[in-house]
Amino acid sequence: MGVATTEFVEAWQAQSAALGYEPPMIFVPHPIQDRTDAEIQALADAAVEEIVGRLTA
Amino acid sequence: MRNTPVLVDPTGEVEPARREPLARPASLDGRTVALLDISKARGDIFLDRLHMRLDERGIEVKRYMKPTFARIAPVAVKQQIASEAALVVEGLAD
Amino acid sequence: MTKQFTLVVKRDCPTCTLLEPVYAELAASGLALDVWTQDDPAFPESVSGALDEELERSFRLGVEIVPTLIRREDGEETGRTWGWDRAEWERLTGLEGLGAGLPPFRPGCGAKNVEPGMPEALAARFGSAHLKSRRVPLAPLEDEVEAAYDRGWSDGLPVVPPTEARVLAMLDGTTRDPGEVLGLAPPNLQPCTVEKVAVNAVMAGCKPEYLPVVLAAVEAALDDAFCMHGVLATTYYIGPIVIVNGPVRRAVGMNAKGNVLGQGNRANATVGRALQLVVRNVGGGKPQGVDRAALGNPGKYTFCFPEDEEGSAWPPLSESRGAGKGASAVTLFAGYGVMGVVDQDSRTPEALVETFADVFRGLENRNRRNIDAVVVVSPEHDRVFRDGGWSREDLEAALRTALDEPGHETPKLREGGLLIVRAGGGAGMFSAILPGWAATGPVGSIPVTKEVGT
Repeated sequence: MGVATTEFVEAWQAQSAALGYEPPMIFVPHPIQDRTDAEIQALADAAVEEIVGRLTA
Repeated sequence: MRNTPVLVDPTGEVEPARREPLARPASLDGRTVALLDISKARGDIFLDRLHMRLDERGIEVKRYMKPTFARIAPVAVKQQIASEAALVVEGLAD
Repeated sequence: MTKQFTLVVKRDCPTCTLLEPVYAELAASGLALDVWTQDDPAFPESVSGALDEELERSFRLGVEIVPTLIRREDGEETGRTWGWDRAEWERLTGLEGLGAGLPPFRPGCGAKNVEPGMPEALAARFGSAHLKSRRVPLAPLEDEVEAAYDRGWSDGLPVVPPTEARVLAMLDGTTRDPGEVLGLAPPNLQPCTVEKVAVNAVMAGCKPEYLPVVLAAVEAALDDAFCMHGVLATTYYIGPIVIVNGPVRRAVGMNAKGNVLGQGNRANATVGRALQLVVRNVGGGKPQGVDRAALGNPGKYTFCFPEDEEGSAWPPLSESRGAGKGASAVTLFAGYGVMGVVDQDSRTPEALVETFADVFRGLENRNRRNIDAVVVVSPEHDRVFRDGGWSREDLEAALRTALDEPGHETPKLREGGLLIVRAGGGAGMFSAILPGWAATGPVGSIPVTKEVGT
């Protein structure tokens, strides 16, 4: 599965349609690059439950 | 009345075969989860934290890295992940 | 042995009408004769003929001049003559004394099936060249240009509708097989054939003679080193910039002089556009889709220009990058522009290069290192370097030295990432830097040079 920011939903849709494959994705709030460590860690904390959920049936 | 015009399709005429993702396991017990870093700035901070949270849950984690976000993963990296882990989480854009 | 004769004529040709008595003699002799008329079913009057209304017969026979007389023996063509040459007609038919009283020789006229535009139209309908692409029939009143917009084929500007006739004419511009696969076009990894490139070259407005340049540019884009997928998908400004060298520049009439990076020259404009349309249509790379550019740049419509080799004291860029001496070649660079280098004072290379270095220091962000760039040296700046006896290598070395900063291990300019060309109008002490991508070298895009074929 993949983790990306919300700015990349369209790119995922376009590439999935073209390749005929929709990998599980979760989208966390954009951006990443200019955030503090604490901000990014909070994004990861908020996402971990969903990531584990998507990895299992 | 003029003829009906016919144009030649300039596109790649994509008609992909649909592929479904592999079935998910019922639980992560005894399975290794790969975390793939694409070498995009500060993606490691996110993955470090995720790694820590998965550790806390007793989930086996291995770390992998693409040499550059600009290119698809080298075959060797893909093969290594496939042989060492059951599942993979890729820290993608941006 | 069965002899069979075929005659193709048209009323609108004085030589054809002059030969009415000869047609009557052929018919009276008893030889097997088919007569095809291209325009008037009532002509010829001396023998009965059939109207070749669609010109299919004339096309299949390869008629270029009327009248044309063809002899077949057991189905195989064994002779043909065109126009009126009594000796030839007599030799071909075995009859003597044809057209007594007529002059011995009269040139024929151009056949209707070779009038301008007809060969392509007929080839599309009746030809053996089979286009593999899907055909898209339009509704009877649907406008072709609007239809291309509606189907998402346009970059935003009108495209030339890719009719079968236009695509076949475009394919005449190359000796390569339409089915040849140049590579997989990202992002959808679709096989990119010569035919698909030709369709998009038509839409871009290319002439058939530009096609080999477009093909070379596409090959460069699909080279793994160029990393076209990344160049497309990045949030950066960049797109492919095509730099053309060699005799093909002048053969197709490219502009290397005034306004070289601007509008107004068909070859410059359409070759670059064709490459972008291939990425859009064959690869499926579109803004709001996989193309994630935050801003992009106007050069993503088209960015193609030739080096002014004739005005330069330096060898062509392509030769400095390994292409054959005197060969035509394209160099593809992932970049954008145009950043000005303005210096109307410097009379020495040493002073002028400092101005170039100063622009590089502040380019994009003072902390940027390892950057790639094209430097377009204008003729008036070229004059200063030339008078100082500087080679391209001298200029690059001086730039690198000027950009050395204590405390930085990584150079400002990536080794191998600087492309220096000379182009532009004769007046104006203004050069330009076309900066590259943030991801340069093996982790991103590497400039690719490909020779232009046939």
